[in-house]
Amino acid sequence: MFDTSPPPLIEAVGLGRNFETRHGLFGQRRDVWAVRDVSLSLARGETVGIVGESGCGKSTLGRMMLGLEAPTTGTVRFDGRDLSDYSGAARRKLARRMQMVFQDPFGSLDPRRSVGAQIADGLKTHSIVPPEAVQAEVTRLIEQVDLPAAAAQRRPHEFSGGQRQRIAVARALATRPDFIVADEPVSALDVSIQAQVVNLLMDLRRDLDLAMLFISHDLHVVRHLCTRIAVMYLGRIVEEGPADQVFGTPAHPYTRALLAATPSLHPRQQAAADRILPGELPSPANPPSGCPFRTRCPIAEDACAASVPAYRDMAPGWRSACIKPGPAAGGPR
Amino acid sequence: MNRAVRKLIVPGSIVATIVLLVLLAPVLPLADVRGMDIPHRFAPPSGAHWLGQDEFGRDVLARLIWGGRASLFIAVGSALAAAVIGTTLGLLGGYFRGAVEIVTVRASEIVLCLPPLLLALLVVTILGAGTWPLILALTILYTPNYARVIYAATLQVRSLDFVTAQRAMGTHPLLILWRTILPNVMPPLLVQMSLVVASAMVIESGLSFLGLGVVPPTPSWGLMIRAARGAMELAPMLLVWPSLALAGTILTFNLLCDRLQSVLDPRATTAGGALWLRNPRPRTRRAATPVPRQEQAPAPLLDIRGLAISVDGGRQSMGLVENVSLSLQPGETLALVGESGSGKTLTGLAMTGLLPDSLSITGGTADFAPRDGAPIDLCQLDEQGFRALRGNEISMVFQDASAALNPVLRIGDQVAEAIRAHHSPSDADCDAAVVDLLRHVGIPDPERRMRAYPHELSGGQRQRAMIAVAIANNPRLLIADEPTTALDPTIQAQILQLFRKLKDDTPEMGMIFVTHDLAVVAEIADRVTVMYAGQVVEDGPVSEVFARPRHPYTAALIASVPEGGAERLVAIPGTVPTPNAMPPGCRFAPRCGHARPECTLAPPPVDTPAPGRRSRCIRWKEVT
Repeated sequence: MFDTSPPPLIEAVGLGRNFETRHGLFGQRRDVWAVRDVSLSLARGETVGIVGESGCGKSTLGRMMLGLEAPTTGTVRFDGRDLSDYSGAARRKLARRMQMVFQDPFGSLDPRRSVGAQIADGLKTHSIVPPEAVQAEVTRLIEQVDLPAAAAQRRPHEFSGGQRQRIAVARALATRPDFIVADEPVSALDVSIQAQVVNLLMDLRRDLDLAMLFISHDLHVVRHLCTRIAVMYLGRIVEEGPADQVFGTPAHPYTRALLAATPSLHPRQQAAADRILPGELPSPANPPSGCPFRTRCPIAEDACAASVPAYRDMAPGWRSACIKPGPAAGGPR
Repeated sequence: MNRAVRKLIVPGSIVATIVLLVLLAPVLPLADVRGMDIPHRFAPPSGAHWLGQDEFGRDVLARLIWGGRASLFIAVGSALAAAVIGTTLGLLGGYFRGAVEIVTVRASEIVLCLPPLLLALLVVTILGAGTWPLILALTILYTPNYARVIYAATLQVRSLDFVTAQRAMGTHPLLILWRTILPNVMPPLLVQMSLVVASAMVIESGLSFLGLGVVPPTPSWGLMIRAARGAMELAPMLLVWPSLALAGTILTFNLLCDRLQSVLDPRATTAGGALWLRNPRPRTRRAATPVPRQEQAPAPLLDIRGLAISVDGGRQSMGLVENVSLSLQPGETLALVGESGSGKTLTGLAMTGLLPDSLSITGGTADFAPRDGAPIDLCQLDEQGFRALRGNEISMVFQDASAALNPVLRIGDQVAEAIRAHHSPSDADCDAAVVDLLRHVGIPDPERRMRAYPHELSGGQRQRAMIAVAIANNPRLLIADEPTTALDPTIQAQILQLFRKLKDDTPEMGMIFVTHDLAVVAEIADRVTVMYAGQVVEDGPVSEVFARPRHPYTAALIASVPEGGAERLVAIPGTVPTPNAMPPGCRFAPRCGHARPECTLAPPPVDTPAPGRRSRCIRWKEVT
C-alpha cells in the first residue's frame, strides 16, 4: 500500500479478531468483531498513533501486532516473516525484539518482586549481557529512565505512578527491542507527570531508533508524539496518514468530530452544540451495515449504508474510508 | 526486624514448640504410652502423671504428645502433599486452559463427587488401616480443594498486565508460573492450607475414632477422644485434654497462616482493624449554628475560609488540606484543579459532609447560603444537618457512575429515591418528575429507560442518570468530582454540553467542578482555583489565569499540556510531596524552576496580583 521507503519492520495485513459469544438457550453463536480488516505497517524509528474511543479495538490491535493474541483473520509480519510461523522457543526468542508498555502503572509490575529483579528478567531470559554484568545493566537501564540506581532494590509499591511507568519502560527496553507497543501509557498519570513520560518516550525513540505503536485516546498527546496516525472506529481504521495532515485537514468526518470534541485550553468560539457528536458507539455485536460511522455521521447519506467504504488515497501515505472525504466546507477547523 | 516479621513471633514460636515437643517425644522422659496400670485407672493428675491416667491407667501426657505426633504428621503431611499436587494442577489448568484444564482441574474434581468419608473408607479398606493409607486418603481428598482455589486465583492473576509483560518478554511459561504467578496466588493458598490442616486433623480424629486410622494402642488425638468419650461421666478431663490439644493446634496453625499471608504481602499496611475500631473518638462537631454575617452585595453562595482537613493519626495528625479559602457566587462555576494528592477532592467532599471516617475538618469555616434562612457553617454542621442539605441544597456528581449507582435498583427508582428523600409527592407525580428529569439530562426514551438497570445503560447514559439524581431537587450547589474523566472524548463533549445546559437552565445554581484536566476547565468554568499539595496556590477568572498565570505552578501546568507546536513538552520535575514530608516554606519550591533560597524559608503568604486574583508566590512579580 505504501511504496515509500524504508521497508516496514512490522506489517499487519487484513487483521481481524472475532470474540465469539454464545447467546440464548441453545447457545447460538454470535460474532463480535473487535478488529476488522486492519492493515498497518511501521518502519524503524517511526511512531504510529492509534486513536479511538473505548471499544474501538485499538488495544486488541496492539496485542495482535505483538503476537499476544492470535488474529482470526489476516497476518502480522515481523521483519518479513509471519508471526504464526514461529512457535515455542523460536517465538519466545522473537519476543526479545517486541515489547509492551501498559496503561495501568499499578497493575503492570509484579507487586511481590523488586524492581531490579523484574528488569533483570528480560536480560537473563535472552542472555542480553553475561550473568556477571546483569546488575550493571539494570543500573544503566534505571538511570536511562531518570531514576536513581538505588531504585532497583525496592518494590513497585514504593513508587509513584509516574515512576512506575518509567520502570515499566525500563523493563521493556531491557531486551533492546526493535518494536514497542505502548497501550495508553500516560492516560493514568497526572498532567505534569504525563509530560515527563512523553518526553522520555520521545528521547528513547530518537536514541534507540524504535518503531512504536502508541495507543491513546488523547489526541493532543498523540499529535505531539507520533509521526503517523491511524484513527479507529468500531474495529476499523477510518483514516490513516501523516500526523500533520490527519489533524490539520482531517478527511474523515469521525476524525473531525473527535478533534472537535476534545477539550482545548483555547475553546473555539463556535456554537458548542455544532461540534458535538450525537449518540454513542454502536455495539460491535450488532454493527451498522455499510460504513460503521454512518449512524452518528453528520454528513451520512443513503449510499453510506450500502457497503463498507473503500479507502481513498488523499495523498501518498494518507487514506480515508469515506465516500465523501476531504475537509468539509465550514468544518470545525 | 520489621513490624511484619514481629507479627510472626507469637504463632511461630507456639508452632515451633508443638513441633519440637512431638519430634522429641522419643527422647523426652515420658512414661510408656502402652504401659497399663489398671489399679490406677482414671487417676487424677499427680507428680508422676501430670495430666492423670486414662481408662487403662496409661499416662495421659505421654499419650497426648505421642498422639500429637501421629495426628500432626498425618494432618500436616497430607495437607502439604495435597497442596503441592493441587497447586500444580491448579496452576497448570488455570494458566494453559483448554485441554490441560480438563486433565488437571476438571479431572481432580471427580474426587469431589464422592462423599469424603466414603472415599477415605475406600482407601483404607483397600490398603488397610494405618498412618500411610490415611495420609494417602486425605491427600486425595484435599487435592481438588487446592486445585480449585489455585485455579481460580490463577485465572485472576494470569490476565494481569505484569503477567502479560512476562509473556511479551518471551519468558518460558513454566518459569512464569513459578516466578510470577505462584507468589501472587500465595494468599489464597495459605488460607486454604490453614483450613485443610484443621480439617485434616478433625477427619483424622474422626477416622481414628471409627477405628480406620491409627491402630490402637498407638495413640492419636482422635483415638484418645474416642476412648475418653466412653468414660465421660467418670473422668471428664480425659476428654478435655485431647480436645484442647486439637483445638489449640488448629487455631495456632490458622493464626500462623494469617500472619504469614500479611507478611508476604508487600503492600500490607501493618496498622489494621476496621475504621470504627481505629477511631474510637466520637467526632466532636457542634450542631449547626447560624453564623451572622454582615450584609454585602452580592452575597456568596459558598464562602470557605481557612479550611483545614487532617487525618486522625494515632500519634500525630497529618494535614491534608490547609488554609483553603474560596468563594462561589450563585450561578458561578468554579473549577478546582490540581494533580492527585492536591486535596481538591477532599475539599469537595468536606462540603457535603462525606469525608472518610479517618479524616476530619480541623479548622476554618464554610458559610453556605441556603434557599432561605441564615447562612450555615458547613464546617460545624453535624450529620443530621448535612442530611437535610445533601441532595436537596447541595448535591454531588461522582467520577465513576457505574460505582456510584446502585446496580440492583432501576434508574428511575434511584432518581425517585433522591426526590423522596426530601419531598413526599404522590406516586404519579414522582414518576412524572423522574421522566422529566431523565429527559432533561438527555436520556432518550425516558419512559422506558427509567425501568432500566444501570448495567443496561452505556457509560455516558449512566453519567447522565447520576446527574439526574444529583439535580433531582434543584440544588443550590452542585459539586462535580471529575465527572467526565472516565469518558471518551465524544461522550465527554456531550456531558460537558449537558453541564453547560444545566448552568443556563438554572442561573441560581453554583457549581464546583473538581478536575485535573485544564482543557475541561477552559471549556466549562468561570473561575479557577489551582491547588497544590493541599493549598490554594492561585485563584482567578479562567480567561485571566490561563492568559497570564501568576504562579509558577499554574504556568508549568499549562505548559505541560501537550497542545500547540512545542517540540518538547514542559515537564515538571519530581513528584507531589507526600503529606508527611511537606517541604518547609513554599511547597512547590523543590520542583519550581524559579525557586530561590528565600522560597524555602517560610510559607509564602497569599498575595493579590490583581482584583479578584490570588497567588501564593513571593516572586510572582518577577517570574510571571
